[in-house]
Amino acid sequence: MTRILCVAEKPSIARAVSNHLGGGAVNTRNVRGNVYIKNFEFTYNFQPWGQCQVTVTSVSGHLLTNDFPSHLRKWTSCDPSALFEARIDTYVEEDKKPIAENIKTQARYADKLYIWTDCDREGENIGTEIRSVAQQGNQRFNNLANTVRARFSNVERAHIVHAAQNPIQLDERQSNAVASRIELDLRIGASFTRNLTLNLQPMLQQHNGGQRSQVISYGSCQFPTLGFVVERYFRVRNFIPETFWAIKVMHEKDGIKVSFRWARNHLFDRMAVVILFERCLTARTARVTKVQTKPTSKWKPLPLTTVELQKCGSRFLRMDSHRVMQIAEQLYQKGWISYPRTETDQFDRGMNLQAIIQKQTQGGPWAAFAQNLVNGAFSQPRSGHHNDKAHPPIHPVNFVNPTQLNQEEQRVHEFVVRRFLACCSEDAKGSKTEITLLYGSETFTASGLVVLARNYLDVYPYDRWTSSQALPDFREGEVFEPAEARIHEGQTSPPGYLTEPELIGLMDANGIGTDATMAEHISKIKERQYVNTQPHTRPRRRDGEDDEADDEEGEAPEPAEAGGRGRGRGRGRARARGRGARGGRDGRGPNTGVQEFVPTTLGVALVEGYENMGFETSLTKPFLRKEMEQNMLLICQGQKTKAEMVHETLEQYRAVYVHSQRRLDSLQAAVRKYVLGEGG
Amino acid sequence: MAGVNDNVPDITASISAFLTAKGVTPTQAWLQSFMPTVRLNTPIAALQKTALFRLLVTDLTTSIVKSPTSCFPPNMTEPQVKDGQVRGPVTAQVLDVEDISRSCWSQVEAIEAQERGETTKGREIIRVVPDENNLDSSTQAEQKPSGVHKLLLQDANGAKAYAIELAPVNGVGMQMAIGVKLVLRDFNVARGVVLLEPRSTEVLGGKVDVWEKKWREDRKAVLTQKAGVRDEAP
Repeated sequence: MTRILCVAEKPSIARAVSNHLGGGAVNTRNVRGNVYIKNFEFTYNFQPWGQCQVTVTSVSGHLLTNDFPSHLRKWTSCDPSALFEARIDTYVEEDKKPIAENIKTQARYADKLYIWTDCDREGENIGTEIRSVAQQGNQRFNNLANTVRARFSNVERAHIVHAAQNPIQLDERQSNAVASRIELDLRIGASFTRNLTLNLQPMLQQHNGGQRSQVISYGSCQFPTLGFVVERYFRVRNFIPETFWAIKVMHEKDGIKVSFRWARNHLFDRMAVVILFERCLTARTARVTKVQTKPTSKWKPLPLTTVELQKCGSRFLRMDSHRVMQIAEQLYQKGWISYPRTETDQFDRGMNLQAIIQKQTQGGPWAAFAQNLVNGAFSQPRSGHHNDKAHPPIHPVNFVNPTQLNQEEQRVHEFVVRRFLACCSEDAKGSKTEITLLYGSETFTASGLVVLARNYLDVYPYDRWTSSQALPDFREGEVFEPAEARIHEGQTSPPGYLTEPELIGLMDANGIGTDATMAEHISKIKERQYVNTQPHTRPRRRDGEDDEADDEEGEAPEPAEAGGRGRGRGRGRARARGRGARGGRDGRGPNTGVQEFVPTTLGVALVEGYENMGFETSLTKPFLRKEMEQNMLLICQGQKTKAEMVHETLEQYRAVYVHSQRRLDSLQAAVRKYVLGEGG
Repeated sequence: MAGVNDNVPDITASISAFLTAKGVTPTQAWLQSFMPTVRLNTPIAALQKTALFRLLVTDLTTSIVKSPTSCFPPNMTEPQVKDGQVRGPVTAQVLDVEDISRSCWSQVEAIEAQERGETTKGREIIRVVPDENNLDSSTQAEQKPSGVHKLLLQDANGAKAYAIELAPVNGVGMQMAIGVKLVLRDFNVARGVVLLEPRSTEVLGGKVDVWEKKWREDRKAVLTQKAGVRDEAP
């Protein structure tokens, strides 16, 4: 009988695979030296090989460690720049040795190695690590044809069985991309971190009364992430409020008071507003130039990606991105949701979504809604622009009674289910009426919304869309004397500190980290004490740049947002903040549960120190890292080799290293200014 | 040489007529300084264009004829007049332009982002992320109205007047050069401020390099100061 050794990335996946494939007849054996890892034994009929004797085991993340030889590990052992080319050893860390031994031993008796690591770049690389250890136990694995891998994106039974029957090859390119990143992160991280710490620590130590201060670590993702936080911090701090003026027109008809919005929104020049206002008054009457009622809809959300899950986590679930990912990972390992690391926001046409919805009719507060979808209300989800070709959007896989989950799991699970059901429903439908006036030379509008069918909103309380007050009946060409026209004065208000959803959005847009690692980088800069978090309090109700009628009731709900869209940088930020602030549901008070980031003095000093070096590719800006990510993609596509990519990237960073070495004074000055508080 | 362009007075007259038709009648002195710098055997149309181009980069107060109609009426900037009409055509040059629909500080921030190299090609930093979710069909198509611009104009006499855009005028905006020339016909003036509309405003183009340079250099400081000053105002 052919003997198959299956190795998963973590114990829970090994257990799930064994249960699905082994049926009831699984022997569980302990592994010496590690209480978490088990070997599961059973027989199974794999199509290519017939009835097989199967052992399923697992690793626990990466099996191999890369580090400099021991004589270079002491910080003062060499010039940090030597680490750009120093030898790197690859070995099994002490605590991983029992796991590696187990694989070596099992490989000795095996004919085939079947890799069950997660299907992403990291998983591909872990797969090759497992293979290399297996090769040490059994030379037959030097023949790469004896190793296959499973393609799966959740641990639901039928899916696992299908994966077991359709093995594919390990993707060496993806594995190489990860190997490049590991090498670069090690070399660049170690050289810059040592250099930074060795140069700044003496200053900080003095400041701390001789106590050794912390390591000042550098990471090619951490620094640009910190850069975003500091940039916003300075925008908040440097902000200067300004007065603006707007013309408000109100009219009462059929017993309804309607406020009209000035098409110019507001101006920052009082004289200009007074002149335009006077022309309105001179005209005395306003004429209705257009009355338009048209159907409108609020689009259902896109299928859920990791980035969106993280953003929504802090907005709606009161969890930081790191926590949301941990919980999503648990839910995945338990088989309730699909793999939570995905960039894909489109469902494959061939996917049987109805069957997934059917499972959610069994219970939970959304059961009736799901039943309704099954009964014919189903609508094909929207498709976004991303497809990582590895995993579908995050969706529920199996039904689980929420009471079986702990509190936090319930919140994340509920969100995933509701989001999925929302994707499979119709858009919310409404009717929007817009009335346009010409008054003097000025144009004013009023709009009203009637929500006709809530559709997806019924299952997705995270979005809000409500009818506004009804508008009176105006006719085109109608002329009237407005009941009230006046100049309204307002003031711009500063943006808020960067919130977590915003930061994730910025990292994503600027190519910092992968969807899977962003949360880690954010928690790294907290851990390093470069930033602190505080609850994001609602700033003023309206952002400063949008003069909304905050003292008047009859205004349609969303025009402020419409104005924000499509604006250039520097203006739209107000909208982004408005979003975050509005994200909280009613009655939650000013604390929205969203965290915002404020840099520490050290965080500010590091960013300013590097920026003042006047180097185009400052380490606190995203380009270098973005290029590294793009290069990793090129490796995956076979357009670049690992050696080329590592060499090119190292040269770029070496140039920055040399340059910043010459401008250390800039960093030291920033530390003196912000951390030591020596004016300057 | 068998050209038709060998009669200097004729050519000069033809150029002068062309410029007058454009709304910028050159002074004799300017014409006299211009003529020796061109080759007379150039086709007349090209000479006319060259002359216009050269004239548009001059300071109007030194280069064009001052007539009562081509300049602002003497009492035009009186703030008592609520709604005045001027026939023109008045020729003016732009000394300053500001976007009064945006706060000064937001403009300073944009300049600073540019200074940091964030708008350099290949080095852009995205600071605002559009939310792909939460779209609704009705708000999608709506566009933010273009900015409202306030200009400081100067006529050939050196008289200055503010102007605001009553409606967007092609060629008026933050991208326009300082020293650009306008011709205004049948325009309204309210409280001493010229109201610009497409029907009454023709942008001839041109610029004055030294003014432009200084304006760009000072812009950030001017905006910063304005933002601050406004804050302190009661």
